[in-house]
Amino acid sequence: MAKTYEIRDPIYGFIELNDWEREIINHPVFQRLRRIRQLGLTDMVYPGAMHTRFEHSLGVMHVATRMFDEIVKRRKEFLESELSFTEGGLERDKVLVRISCLLHDVGHAPFSHAAEELMITDASGKFYKHENYSAAAVAYLMQDVIEKHPFNQNYGIKAQDIADFLNGRSKLGRALLWRDLLSSQLDADRADYLLRDSHHIGVAYGKYDLNRLLVTMTVAIDPETDSPTLAVEEGGIHAAEALIVARYMMFTQVYFQHTRRAYDHHLAAAIKTLLSEAQSSSELEIRDALPPPTSREHLESYLKWNDWRVLGLINDGNGGGDGHILRERAHHRRIFETPEVPGREDLELTEFLCSELGEDGAFVDKAESSWYKFDSTDVPILLRPGKNDEKLVTLSQRSSVVHGLKAVNRSRIYTPYERREDVRKRVEELSNKYRKEKEVRK
Amino acid sequence: MRVNIDIPWNRYGLIAELTNRLKYQCPQFGKTILQKMVYLLQEVYGVKCGYQFDLYTYGPFTSQLLQDLDLVETFNAVRISSVMSAVGGYHIEPGERNEELKEKAGEFLRDPVVSKAIDNLIEHFSSSNAKKLELLSTIVYVSRDMRDEGLSRENLIQMVSDVKPKFARPEIEEAVSTLEEKQMVSFP
Repeated sequence: MAKTYEIRDPIYGFIELNDWEREIINHPVFQRLRRIRQLGLTDMVYPGAMHTRFEHSLGVMHVATRMFDEIVKRRKEFLESELSFTEGGLERDKVLVRISCLLHDVGHAPFSHAAEELMITDASGKFYKHENYSAAAVAYLMQDVIEKHPFNQNYGIKAQDIADFLNGRSKLGRALLWRDLLSSQLDADRADYLLRDSHHIGVAYGKYDLNRLLVTMTVAIDPETDSPTLAVEEGGIHAAEALIVARYMMFTQVYFQHTRRAYDHHLAAAIKTLLSEAQSSSELEIRDALPPPTSREHLESYLKWNDWRVLGLINDGNGGGDGHILRERAHHRRIFETPEVPGREDLELTEFLCSELGEDGAFVDKAESSWYKFDSTDVPILLRPGKNDEKLVTLSQRSSVVHGLKAVNRSRIYTPYERREDVRKRVEELSNKYRKEKEVRK
Repeated sequence: MRVNIDIPWNRYGLIAELTNRLKYQCPQFGKTILQKMVYLLQEVYGVKCGYQFDLYTYGPFTSQLLQDLDLVETFNAVRISSVMSAVGGYHIEPGERNEELKEKAGEFLRDPVVSKAIDNLIEHFSSSNAKKLELLSTIVYVSRDMRDEGLSRENLIQMVSDVKPKFARPEIEEAVSTLEEKQMVSFP
């Protein structure tokens, strides 16, 4: 029997690993995650937010495995007869899911999402995302540790298979279904970070009944399109409802909190300056952006950036004006925001203010630009599972709470700290002027 | 430095326009059909909408479009309701302020290239239901995703069959032929 290892985890108690996974975790690319904070500089608002991508990655692997096991336990016959999965194929898929989930965040930039806006576009004009860096790091730098371990002899999993899973490539074929465990409304990523972030920062907003959700997770066919999809059995409706509400609360109270977003802005600007300084003398063509995930050299250069390096440089007086702001805690202040769900007039007023404020406006932030979004993607609910008349509906059809939730599309305008009082008054005057002119036009 | 906010009125106007034009033509115009229509408009007809689609077992999908749709509903430019039939899904129809929102994006929608692309999209795909559109858009996505690897017709059909196991092979073959005739997929 293969030896297993346990790692203590504040959310699940223990996370179990095998020898192969332990070697992957010991790889420098994975160990770097100990130096990437999960929530950037959220600790400036919630001091407990000091946890890293390291423990989150272990958590996602753990939750995804539990989800996979529950689904297969409940729907093995369905998976085999309706979707042509085989027993051996499912066993391999489980390993693929575990390792992909473990490695899904290895490509994060310093301070997680804060520096993501410094990623450039590919040849087709599509912006690179951290997932693309994770996939490239696995393919370029982790081939040996993935492919050469004796445990892999039975599965023949290539580093490229993991990269394809992380990039959501069509090559995954049938296994694309399991990608929903990493990226969907019911994925293990958000299932973990909601609970973990809540735990560390000391809020209850992100808590929901994970155990109930797990034992009701299933797979079904969408009657509108005949597509296989992850779903929740009828008995898990309230657990799914709580998950959606938790996402809404965490988005509005933590991830899109106005001061936190200001620090994201300053961090990105400071890192841009640091990149420009560091890369001006290098052979890289890119100067003030992150190197693209297109070669081993680029990846190695990219992965040298982590929170320790950035903080050290900023602490030494680098990072330009934004580095100074971070050192002095003199972040830009919010002077205007729309409602969470703005009307057309709210957005037109925001446009008007931006055009009038000139130098008084420092930057604009939109919920749409935030990596953590609260959108209205629905959750499929399977009624009468296993019966001849089983039926798939959506959570919003069954839950008036979820039905009433709209995507958060708030926008905000910030001003430099020194001008905040004057600019707030100016915004009030401009808003009144705008409304009066609008009345006259009516 | 001046602050600037880029509100995607063109995207919102496009949703209003498609809803208006597809309300009677498309069998149950809902969220699935909207996703696939916008995907095809952007990827096949080259209209830059700024969406980043990813592939799921239910075809190309972007949550950003749902976020935009929510806002367009808030503007009263569309109305969304659940369909309580065996097939389920949603129904989207124009709201009271549909024309106003379209006018806001008038320059974009009246652009001859965009306008022609929307006409072609509707001519070629508006009679397809959600299931058919999902298959067609998945084929387009897979063929583009694998473009650099010289995917053969046979391999494309097999890969789509793996992603969508409930579709019979002849059905996939026919859909590939349809797209080949329209020169929307090609093989080495």
